[in-house]
Amino acid sequence: MSDKADIQDYLAAFDDIPGTRIYTAKRARQGYHLNQFAMSLMKAENREAWKADEKAYLERWPMSEAQKQAVLARDYSLLLDLGGNIYFLAKVFSTDGLSFVQAVSTMTGMTVEEYQAMMNAGGRSPKGVRSIKDVY
Amino acid sequence: MARISAGVATSHVPLLGVAVDQGKTRDAYFGPIFAGYDWTKRWEAEQKPDVIVLVYNDHASAFDANIIPTFAIGTGEHFKPADEGWGPRAVPDVSGHPDLAWHIAQSLILDDFDMTIINQMDVDHGLTVPLSMMFGTPAAWPAKVIPLAVNVVTYPVPSGNRCWMLGEAIRRAVESFPEDLNVQIWGTGGMSHQLQGQRAGLINAEWDNRFMDSLIGDSDAARRIPHIEYLRETGSEGIEMVMWLIMRGALGERTRLLHRHYHVPCSNTAIGHLVLEPD
Repeated sequence: MSDKADIQDYLAAFDDIPGTRIYTAKRARQGYHLNQFAMSLMKAENREAWKADEKAYLERWPMSEAQKQAVLARDYSLLLDLGGNIYFLAKVFSTDGLSFVQAVSTMTGMTVEEYQAMMNAGGRSPKGVRSIKDVY
Repeated sequence: MARISAGVATSHVPLLGVAVDQGKTRDAYFGPIFAGYDWTKRWEAEQKPDVIVLVYNDHASAFDANIIPTFAIGTGEHFKPADEGWGPRAVPDVSGHPDLAWHIAQSLILDDFDMTIINQMDVDHGLTVPLSMMFGTPAAWPAKVIPLAVNVVTYPVPSGNRCWMLGEAIRRAVESFPEDLNVQIWGTGGMSHQLQGQRAGLINAEWDNRFMDSLIGDSDAARRIPHIEYLRETGSEGIEMVMWLIMRGALGERTRLLHRHYHVPCSNTAIGHLVLEPD
């Protein structure tokens, strides 16, 4: 039954999906401390410390300067590029009181209202955004 | 002997938990979603399963970036609702079934599935939202639950075929447990959704419905769908549907459809729900 994929081909195909960053081992390694920081916000006492002084809280984590700046700016697209994973980053926007729709829409170049209207109308069509190379 | 009597598949969007917890399940937005679960609530009340093997994924709640089990089984007595960043859901603690869970864990390992065994963990919306959808808001959950967590976050996640085979092995394990138990298996997550990047908001109702079709009857085509197809067609988080294949694999060669529901949208996600029984 096994149709074992070649790992290089398997990973390369992920880069052919437009506007999408698949959370590969490479990203997981790059984003390890960023994601662990976000994870720490699951504890109420950590959320309080974070809200009291975000910059000081970030100093506890051996993250890159770029990662820290992107967290402070809540730049979720950039955070994905820097190894963040959406389920970990969700702890940051949940602490800010944002819903998934509100936070996710910031990555699309649409306003929250436009994004919500798109979802209510059936969501984004897969047509034309399945593949960068083959455009279908 | 214990037996797997039915399989249930459902999306597990966190917003559904919010709707239940805030009493909004019959409003204009959520009404059409929850109406599709009314049949199942009645059916579950009649079926009275003793134990549910609940296949779900942890969303950075019990497992952080440090330890990433591909397949993990919860063998504890109790599991508490996780604090996912806005405080834990006010739902009952989940009662496990350690005897059956350990039996399944041991049987699976002897059957070549190298399970991670978890004695203590909190369970997030991936597990508690399906319970709310099927049972509403009882003072205590009416069935024991064996959490079975699958890594669908860090790649590579398990293949569809491996998930199907795990389901088959779970069935063999359950059927070799001497106590007479009515066991259901639930596969949760999906359907199409993408929560990240410029392509966020992707929904593919046509593909989702073909996928649901493929789980009814004797086809096993779905086990051969490669990851890249889920990702291109149903969005980055659509990959969660591999967990439905564990449920399907546990139902044997043929299934019969008892109930089906599909709705777009709920938050960023397409809601899909199936109730199947072995045929």
